[in-house]
Amino acid sequence: MPEQKTVTFTINERKLTVPAGTLVIEAARRTGIEVPAFCYYPGLSLQAACRMCLVEVEKAPKLQTACTLVAADGMVVRTDTPQVHKARKDMLEFLLTNHPLDCPVCDKGGECELQDMTFRYGLDKSRFVEEKLHSPEQAWSPVVYYDAPRCILCFRCVRVCDEGMDVKALGVGQRGVLSVIIPNREDHLECEECGMCIDVCPVGALTSGAYRYKTRPWEMKYVPTVCAHCSNGCKTTLGVRNNEIQRANNRDLSGINKDFLCVKGRYGFDFVHHPDRLKQPLVRRNGTLQIASWEDALAEVAARLKTVRDAHGPDAIGFIGSNRTTNEENYLLGRLARGLVGTNNVDHHRTADYGALVQALGESAGAAQAGMEQLGAAKAILLIGNDPTNQNPLVAWQIRTAIRQNGARLYVVNTEEIKLKRKAAQFVRVASGAEALIAQWLATGEGDLELDTSVEMMQLRGAMEKERDAVIVFGAELRGAAIEHVVKFGASLPGQTRYIALGDYANSRGASDMGLLPDRLPGYVWTSDAAARDAFGKLWGASLPEKTGLDSRQMLAAAARGALKALYVVGANPFRTFGAGGRPAGLDWVVVQEMFLTETSRDADIVLPAACAYEKDGTVTNTAGEVQLLRRGLETMGTRTDFDILRILSHQLSKAGVGRAIPLRTPEAALDEIRRSVRGYGVSLPGLLAGGAERTAPLAPANGHKLIDVPAESIFSPRDTLFTSGTLGRYCTMIHSVPEAKSES
Amino acid sequence: MTLPPRLENKFSELLKRYPVKRSALVPMLLYTQDVFGYIGDEMVAEIARRLDLNTLQVTETLVYYSMLRREPAGRCHVQVCTNIACKLRGGEKLWEHAQKRLGVGHKQTSADGVFSLEEVECIGACTGAPAVQVNYDFHENLTPEKLDKILDEFQAGRKPSPAPYIIGSIHERHPAEAPVISRRFGIPNSRKIDVYRKHEGYQALEKALNEMTPESIIEEVKKSNLRGRGGAGFPAGMKWSFVPKDSPKPKYIIANADESEPGTCKDRPLMEFDPHQLIEGMVIAGRSVNSYQGYIYVRGEYRYVLDIMDEAIREAYEHGFLGKNILGSGFNFDLCTHTGAGAYECGEESALMESLEGKRGYPRIRPPFPAVVGLYGCPTVINNVETLSSVPSVILKGAEWYANLGPARNGGTRLFCISGHVNKPGIYELPMGFNLLRMINEVAGGVRGGKKLKAVVPGGSSTPALKAEECDIPMDFDSLAKAGSMLGSGGVVVLDEDTCMVDFARRIMKFYAHESCGWCIPCREGTSWIKKILDRFHAGGGRAEDIPLIDEAAKNMFGRTFCPLGDAAAMPTMAIVKKWRHEFEEHLNGRCPYKPLDVPVGV
Repeated sequence: MPEQKTVTFTINERKLTVPAGTLVIEAARRTGIEVPAFCYYPGLSLQAACRMCLVEVEKAPKLQTACTLVAADGMVVRTDTPQVHKARKDMLEFLLTNHPLDCPVCDKGGECELQDMTFRYGLDKSRFVEEKLHSPEQAWSPVVYYDAPRCILCFRCVRVCDEGMDVKALGVGQRGVLSVIIPNREDHLECEECGMCIDVCPVGALTSGAYRYKTRPWEMKYVPTVCAHCSNGCKTTLGVRNNEIQRANNRDLSGINKDFLCVKGRYGFDFVHHPDRLKQPLVRRNGTLQIASWEDALAEVAARLKTVRDAHGPDAIGFIGSNRTTNEENYLLGRLARGLVGTNNVDHHRTADYGALVQALGESAGAAQAGMEQLGAAKAILLIGNDPTNQNPLVAWQIRTAIRQNGARLYVVNTEEIKLKRKAAQFVRVASGAEALIAQWLATGEGDLELDTSVEMMQLRGAMEKERDAVIVFGAELRGAAIEHVVKFGASLPGQTRYIALGDYANSRGASDMGLLPDRLPGYVWTSDAAARDAFGKLWGASLPEKTGLDSRQMLAAAARGALKALYVVGANPFRTFGAGGRPAGLDWVVVQEMFLTETSRDADIVLPAACAYEKDGTVTNTAGEVQLLRRGLETMGTRTDFDILRILSHQLSKAGVGRAIPLRTPEAALDEIRRSVRGYGVSLPGLLAGGAERTAPLAPANGHKLIDVPAESIFSPRDTLFTSGTLGRYCTMIHSVPEAKSES
Repeated sequence: MTLPPRLENKFSELLKRYPVKRSALVPMLLYTQDVFGYIGDEMVAEIARRLDLNTLQVTETLVYYSMLRREPAGRCHVQVCTNIACKLRGGEKLWEHAQKRLGVGHKQTSADGVFSLEEVECIGACTGAPAVQVNYDFHENLTPEKLDKILDEFQAGRKPSPAPYIIGSIHERHPAEAPVISRRFGIPNSRKIDVYRKHEGYQALEKALNEMTPESIIEEVKKSNLRGRGGAGFPAGMKWSFVPKDSPKPKYIIANADESEPGTCKDRPLMEFDPHQLIEGMVIAGRSVNSYQGYIYVRGEYRYVLDIMDEAIREAYEHGFLGKNILGSGFNFDLCTHTGAGAYECGEESALMESLEGKRGYPRIRPPFPAVVGLYGCPTVINNVETLSSVPSVILKGAEWYANLGPARNGGTRLFCISGHVNKPGIYELPMGFNLLRMINEVAGGVRGGKKLKAVVPGGSSTPALKAEECDIPMDFDSLAKAGSMLGSGGVVVLDEDTCMVDFARRIMKFYAHESCGWCIPCREGTSWIKKILDRFHAGGGRAEDIPLIDEAAKNMFGRTFCPLGDAAAMPTMAIVKKWRHEFEEHLNGRCPYKPLDVPVGV
């Protein structure tokens, strides 16, 4: 790599050496010198419109905008002269001529950039005695409100909607002092409702319908955690007051998503407070679910599990875990099923074949997984299947970022004309279900493609062969051997090719990584691998079963035949997900840990009310294999975390003579065990605690296992949209309120 | 959707003009309005569809331009100019009269749908002031009585004939005049190519193509001391030399015919009487930087001028002065017009290019300058109409001859549009450096009614006014700069002793507040704030502290705005406060001292 050029210039008598091309405003900020600005926003196009960042430059006749000024060798910049201070003061005076001083009732009060700048740099009195311009506030959508008089026209919202989101729903109306921001549908918005416009607004012009007039910013406690919805793992900061979430945003720009949050991350928290939330255990008596105490319910679960196990053997019991519970909870469930009960009948709703990817990458799996940051920094991206805009919004944002910031080229193979097509250097439309064939063709040149497709694919392959360090992103359309093909193709490309398998839901990846699979233990070691079995068996104080267990669908089928007698479900809805006709008749007994009465829990015999992600500590792993910390923001009385439920149950079982109790008392203790015992999870604890996303480095044992083509029925995407999210989405009333969500359902 | 054939034809013809579809947006909107009277939702959607835009992109562009309407107006849209040149000759009285006569106010339509009324900013008829435009027709030198007659005609369903040409452009030559670019004004059919060729037309082009190299053309223009006639006075040859020769990108030549600086109406007759002179200048400019495509951006109000230019371009193609292999030289150059739709800001070169690309007329961040990154991101030469029209004379008669017409560093002649309180308002071509007092007293016949001279705006409303005693000055870029003002656009506005300078400042600021694009804070808020203060002040509500406040607010804009519009608003204001402060003080006792006593306070 050629050595990066640098320039040396002086700012406030300090000599700085920065990479050539650095803007003075950035150089100043990195040195801790504040240069105020409204319109400047890192990552968005330059405007030089607000004139707040004017600085003195030696030999320049006029003040210069630091946001457009590129540092040059020998340049002498001053940001602290009387002339600069006066310019700031004057600019704020101009701004406040028409800006209403309604700070006491403005949502932004306390975290308003105009308020802060006026406090720091502004005049202490107003010389403006004329009538201010006024126009009434407008509701652009149930979640986006616009108050034109407060708008200072920094155009951040317009740019983030266009450049960041590629939605282009905001524009500028009128001109001069009458200029306003206008929505794309005359008086309302039709968009992705991501709320990015509200987020970047420096003042209270754009406010959130979900948050407005509810509280003051300083009355909330802020809890940084991870969004509970899709698999991308966006950091979201909950604003909690009186044990109630008031809002969610990411204004500290922390986490892998930096600025970004989608409609679910920003508004999809109100399921927590939904009136249908289960808050007491339920036990079926005389045909109906009736309220029970935690003690009675858990005692009964343990007793019934023992009865079934004693009568029919451990393989008469099945465990279906969750793709939204934490890694620690998933680990505990697997340990309980295998170590205490003694069955490999363990599965979850698999939405991506992570196992196949890890297996296909083999020894190189650690380095060959792309994190979200690497995706955003990629120079070339191949996307096969999936619709990231809807299913993986952060992935879509990162792809757009790579295109915008690095001029990356995007190649898309899809059965539908997905929105990202607009950004693609090449788009190849293929027949439904042809993705695996495409993967095979890319790897081997074999496969019967239609003529048009093969011409286009040859062009695509030709282009990809010229790309270095590409990232290949694919959805659940590719499974098993198809993934092996993609990896083979990737290995033939120049540089280090990296991969992301796209799943759905907050911890699908973690469920897989923690071994909620009928043939794998945590860290993708095979149950047939005696050494691996021994290692975990020693750790868990048990002898682990070898035989491959049943997957979710097989469990339900076995239940229908009467071969499976009891089903233990955690945070999943198998009767719907895999369901043909609800609870199989042959099932004697079903217990469910759940937040709501779903198609599964309402037919269960015992329902244990579970806490949700925002009420838990623990870790989750996003679809790119990055682990992050969840932090408990609040509690809902009557519920327990799945961790606690499983831990207590292990004691109950042990007391009843089924296995050894799990001695891990806290999620921290479980994480400690995971970090030591699960391949790839030896992540840095300080990194996690500091709020970082720690990349796992899975390592597939090369022990001759062949990748099998997993049937589509076992691994499939629920194809959620921006406005749906499995069970949780059904209880997100704020999201349902936006018109785009209604047209979805 | 099916459109009327003439609109359909216009659309398909427009789409051929540009390498980027969106460029056709503003013209398509204006021609749509010509057909339907306004631009409805259906047409917004249709145009968006044809240009691969979303409707918001169309809407936000539409609402920027003051000529474009989303609601129907009257069959006769009466636009009364009250800007400075018209104001000084009764434009405001005409406006009052029109409101009374039609019974409607600003942007309102009469009940029968025949008339709609609008108070507009300078329409470029300053030497024929006061002036009114009905639809695209100019009616000049009006009085309330004359206006009544015109409105009577329209009311009766007839179409009164407009001014035959801009009043003040054809007049007996004053002996001091040095007609170069205006030398064909008044020759019958001067706009026809045959007549043009009979009077030295296209000879400069022949010389440039056959006897000169691109480098020697630029050298010649540099030596001529031809400086930008749009207002800034930047040396034209130097501008051309900045175009990177080795750039593989296409290069563009743009004629800035968005003439909108109040008090200025020289580009209008240049295109009206001598369109081929401009075309010839542009082809030569094209040759000098190896450009193959030119655009003439004509302000929307000058529709008949645009039609004249279109016809001249057609003729030039027919005679081989445009198109492929011009005069057998192997040089190709295409040229077409482009209409604006009402925005002073689009006279700023980078905003003009945004507008030409079909967007809101926001100025661009500079550097890079247009010579390097201009239209469609390509190297672009953009010059004023008068500058480009001077090029054929420079080439034909030589740089030395041209330079010697004016003083040092200020080559050639200048079209001065003398308006306001003079006996003979008109457009006069005088050598650079001509004395301003002589200009007023000898060429323009002196101050009207034997009144005393109070002030002169030397080069359009943005140039600081000179006091009477400052007017003994040569009119060239350097002398005016030394006197703290600017030669500007050549719009000389003369004010007599009865003019209220507070009111004058107020009208100037009203213009800039109306035309501020709204991009940057100081201009957007500053112009509007100062206008509000001046409105109140002139109406009798002034406070002593307002006088320094007006001055400071202007100073706080000055030098800090994104583009020169902020300076253009600040400079005249600061000058008036400084030079006529006593007039502000005289207003502090509750009324304007220049108003007759029977006019109530607050009007």
